[in-house]
Amino acid sequence: MLEANESTPVTAKRSQSQLISLCVNGEWREVAVKPRLTLVEVIRDSIGLTGTKASCESGACGACTVLLEDRPILACLTLAIECDGKRVQTVEGLAEGGKLSAIQDAFLDQGAVQCGFCTPGMLMSATALLRDCPKPSREEINKALEGNLCRCTGYNAIVDAVLQASGQGVEPVMK
Amino acid sequence: MSELSYVGKSFRRKDGPDKVTGKAMYAQDVKLANTLIGRILRSPHPHARIVRIDTARARALPGVKAVITVEDTKGIKHGFVETPRYPPDQEVLARGKVVHVGEEIAAVAAVDQLTAQRALELIEIEYQPLPAVFEPEEAMQPGAPEIHRSHPKYEGPHANIGGNTETAWGDVEKGFAESDYVREDRFECQLRTHGYLEPQATLAHWENDKLNVWTSSMGSFVKRAKLAKTLDLPYSSVRIHKTYVGGTFGGKIDLYSHEYCAARLSMITGRPVQVVASREEIFSAYRHAQPLILEIKTGVKKDGTLVAQRIRAINNAGAYRGSGVVVIFLAWGFTMIPYRIPNLKYEGLSVYTNHTVRAPQRGHGAPKVRLAIESQLDMIAEALGIDPIAIRLRNARGPGERLPNGDDTHNCGLSDCIRLAAERSGFLDKFGRDRKSPPSGTIRRGIGIGVSAYMGGTLIYPNGSGVIVKMNDDGSAVVLTGAIDIGQGSETVISQIVAEELSIGMDDVRIISSDTDTTPQDIGAWISGMTYVTGNAARQAASNARDKLLQVAAEKMGVTVDQLVLKDKIVCHRLDPERRMTYREVIAHSVATRRGDTVIGEGYWRTMRDEANHPSLATTKGRWTENYAFSTQVAEVEVDIETGEARLVKALTVHDCGFPINPALVKGQIDGQISMALGHAFMEEVITKDGYTLNPNWLDYRMPTIHNMAISEDVDVITEQYRVGQPYRSKEVGEGLVSGILAAIANAVYDATGVRLHSTPFTAEKILGGLKRLQYQAKTARQAKTEPVRA
Repeated sequence: MLEANESTPVTAKRSQSQLISLCVNGEWREVAVKPRLTLVEVIRDSIGLTGTKASCESGACGACTVLLEDRPILACLTLAIECDGKRVQTVEGLAEGGKLSAIQDAFLDQGAVQCGFCTPGMLMSATALLRDCPKPSREEINKALEGNLCRCTGYNAIVDAVLQASGQGVEPVMK
Repeated sequence: MSELSYVGKSFRRKDGPDKVTGKAMYAQDVKLANTLIGRILRSPHPHARIVRIDTARARALPGVKAVITVEDTKGIKHGFVETPRYPPDQEVLARGKVVHVGEEIAAVAAVDQLTAQRALELIEIEYQPLPAVFEPEEAMQPGAPEIHRSHPKYEGPHANIGGNTETAWGDVEKGFAESDYVREDRFECQLRTHGYLEPQATLAHWENDKLNVWTSSMGSFVKRAKLAKTLDLPYSSVRIHKTYVGGTFGGKIDLYSHEYCAARLSMITGRPVQVVASREEIFSAYRHAQPLILEIKTGVKKDGTLVAQRIRAINNAGAYRGSGVVVIFLAWGFTMIPYRIPNLKYEGLSVYTNHTVRAPQRGHGAPKVRLAIESQLDMIAEALGIDPIAIRLRNARGPGERLPNGDDTHNCGLSDCIRLAAERSGFLDKFGRDRKSPPSGTIRRGIGIGVSAYMGGTLIYPNGSGVIVKMNDDGSAVVLTGAIDIGQGSETVISQIVAEELSIGMDDVRIISSDTDTTPQDIGAWISGMTYVTGNAARQAASNARDKLLQVAAEKMGVTVDQLVLKDKIVCHRLDPERRMTYREVIAHSVATRRGDTVIGEGYWRTMRDEANHPSLATTKGRWTENYAFSTQVAEVEVDIETGEARLVKALTVHDCGFPINPALVKGQIDGQISMALGHAFMEEVITKDGYTLNPNWLDYRMPTIHNMAISEDVDVITEQYRVGQPYRSKEVGEGLVSGILAAIANAVYDATGVRLHSTPFTAEKILGGLKRLQYQAKTARQAKTEPVRA
């Protein structure tokens, strides 16, 4: 339950915001954040990068996954002020110079995208995996993506996309 | 027949690049300056009279801009169905009484989330709790707490009947009398939910006497109709804008209270209002699927020929009519389509309980109906000593059969589906293997089969789709379609059809979709008909533009239209390809000589051109569609007999979906349905107690993760062709394939263990309990054998 003091409504209070710096997709940004705000709220609402999705807001679905200092984290369970001075990568930062990354391309080639709502989080988890482990086994893929729910694909195409992106003999099924 | 270049091929999604780069805009991503946050006050009681509502303290809270209750509405009701028999039954906010936990009572708009939340806490409501009832068979009893009066046309003895469907053909009692073997069974299933990842979200902005709405939906034109109606606005004053939609699976069709509230609050405040439902709200107050109880009695001849079947379906419909009266109507359809049954009687009852209102969920009753019929068919086959393949082949409908509702099965490929499924899976070699000679260890493997059929494009508002194709000067095209891409790939499929008809590249097609002001009306993504209905409208629109291009070119080149062919944005002479005009030249000539005609094509399509709009929900009379898909699915499971845990190892889907416009998108639909069905079979259940949801999150409501993948193979029995300029049948692939596989899993669990399950989910407890019963029966049978018979 959200807390609020009856005698002093939230909006009547002076702002308790703190200024933090985040390096988002390679660009440093200064953002004023209230201590209670989560990273996903700040990325979406303050910075305006809406590619990162808010779905369960309780760490159960992985849709909000971003990379913090190259590690995948759940942005709905991370307070923004904890990220002061750190590097954040979101789905908007995956394509370089307008060219899709290998995993983005592979998601399209394999039909790993349907409604697309889990896609940003999936891509971030998969990107982190492929950086650490350029040729992951199926077990390693399952482990890396176990926190990301997808309701559309049944996951088969997503696994194939990771295998394709890591050059493990899976050919595109779509052109 | 000319070779096809675009349809029948697996092109990448048109919306794919936006979706992998984070550019795709969903309802919660649309930001407008000065937006207020809306929140909904919900009932804490399953059934209670509202004695008093006092919003004064909430209104006085700084930062609160508006508070509404039902007194601030026009009191116009809405309903999932709105027919003379089933008029709208639900107000947008509760009036005088709440009938389920989570029912919407009031809404606030405030400057931020916390203020809105605080305002909800300051609304004072005095309730007088009423007795509540949650199980349909209890709610049906005379004297049960009355949630609503039984439907005036219902003549039976039961209470709380929201609606009923009764129909029959042949003489079922005579059929049973003529049968060699008759058995009766009862099946039940759990409460499940859609599990769409994108939360329900709406942004509404009333500006210059116009309501602009961005909302997560399955059909913009249905939303417009219902919002306009409840707000008492002309349709022209409501614009539903396009957004991408993050999954629906049936759960985002109807008008939701939060959509009305966002709109009304914006009209009062003059500011944009955004409402985003929390996941907990979605689990505990929004609409879930429909748990059915199915009683089934079937009679057969010795050779397995079906003679008679009687089915009674009881639906736990929740606290308003919702889609409860539709599921009991559809359940009839899922009964009658796949097999020839000369005598059939069906009764469906939709029963009010103090649960949340129900929505369709992918398959809309089919998984439950097919589970019952296909499980029982296996039991019958075993009793008669017939194998599961033979009994299905004996009764499967063939092409051109007339269904009881007057529909035609057309090029039905069901028998091929059954045969191929048996062949590809090696069914008869595997069937019964572990039961006959149990392997060492605790793992048992089993194989099972299930058949299903599903209709597509059935008539329901808005009953048809229109498409406009506008040629650009350079020969590329803009397509205006009301179709909404909920993940199924409508934009891609429509682009492929337009590219094929016009012989232009996929990149030459730009889709503008799902905007009620700028695109033509569309049936929506919810009756499994978009590829068929909107696809044929797109085909006709592109074909219309193509005809114009050909006529203009023929005129200019001094030839007849039939001497010309189109290829890659060029019109050329069939025999002399050097005689040619580019589309750019043809369009310029059209503008010059046809009083500015820039070449615009229009098309429209509706299932069954001459039929009345609705088949009767009460009697099932009236045709439904011209578009039936058939399928056979095989499941291979592993069961650990020590723990009772079972898992789906492999699924094979052999289906007749007509002509697949994009085979990889078809495959995506199949894989997704296998995953959803295995969730249904083994994992998912919304657990409630006294109307409260006990597991309102994904940690406690277990949906399949990547660890619960099954191998999913498929074979497409293609029964239709695509010819440029001709109507085509794409049938159905988005919903029906959650059904046969569920039955196949149940039959496979039986094959592995001998345990016959009559209710979903197939939990370890149920399987283990079944194994214990079998052991006990075997033991008592042995004892009976060894005990000497006394004379």
